[in-house]
Amino acid sequence: MTAGFERQAPVGDAVEASLPSDREIVVSRRFNAPRELVWAAWTHPEHIGNWWGPDGFTTTTEKMELRPGGEWRFVMHAPNGMNFQNYVRYSEVVEPERLVYLHGEDEERIDFEVTVTFVERDGATEVTLRQVDETPEARDRAIEEGGAIEGGKQTLDRLAGYLETMRS
Amino acid sequence: MTQDHLSALFSALADPTRRAILDRLAEGEATVKELAEPFDISAPAITKHLKVLQRAGLIKQERRAQWRPCRLDATPLRDVANWVERYRRFWEGSFDRLDRYLNTLQERERNRAGPKEPGD
Repeated sequence: MTAGFERQAPVGDAVEASLPSDREIVVSRRFNAPRELVWAAWTHPEHIGNWWGPDGFTTTTEKMELRPGGEWRFVMHAPNGMNFQNYVRYSEVVEPERLVYLHGEDEERIDFEVTVTFVERDGATEVTLRQVDETPEARDRAIEEGGAIEGGKQTLDRLAGYLETMRS
Repeated sequence: MTQDHLSALFSALADPTRRAILDRLAEGEATVKELAEPFDISAPAITKHLKVLQRAGLIKQERRAQWRPCRLDATPLRDVANWVERYRRFWEGSFDRLDRYLNTLQERERNRAGPKEPGD
């Protein structure tokens, strides 16, 4: 048991996640690019589809209204063919230093509030993202989903192992 | 896991003595007496810590004969760790792609600017 739950995330090339409270995650990363460019990558529909989401995912933006109260509606397409509707409503847009938004499946189901800050240092940009579960229920849902996903993966791993032994 | 259980989990982890007890139990079962041994605190104080850990679902106390050993249950920690790990992986993947994309954009810009002419 370490102090990992209390430590603030250091900024570097790897993404470190820390847990400042029981509903909050902080992730940080440094990018070798000027702040204006990093901001543009986050806030233009023609840019954001080129990086948002894990490898193999593509993103289609239906609309992006970059202003307080504005909405970013988008669909994430998973490598396995599944589509995930996403909804973001911006509460703060302070170019080029801060974005604050609510994120969920749609306007009825908001899962978390996200604050993204962009700080330029020596020509590089530090991006820090703080994600707070919107409600205790949203947090519990995410934890149960995570448990279900991990459980499912472990089951599949065991099945794969079993099939290997059957083959030999 | 309800919000009550989560608060209990986090406050259970917030104490260094309790974290040390969990470290010891990660090596295997132990009796209350064995757990109290490394600490310069009273038996009732240790029992209080164990109650907090039990409420958080982190330890189970077996009811075998008289010696009732304590056992670690890491499930609550694993569930929280999985939750953090999912988002860490999402952002790690996204940030890796963003990094590559930013490099591509800057490379394009450098190429567009072209080589410097003599006299520039």
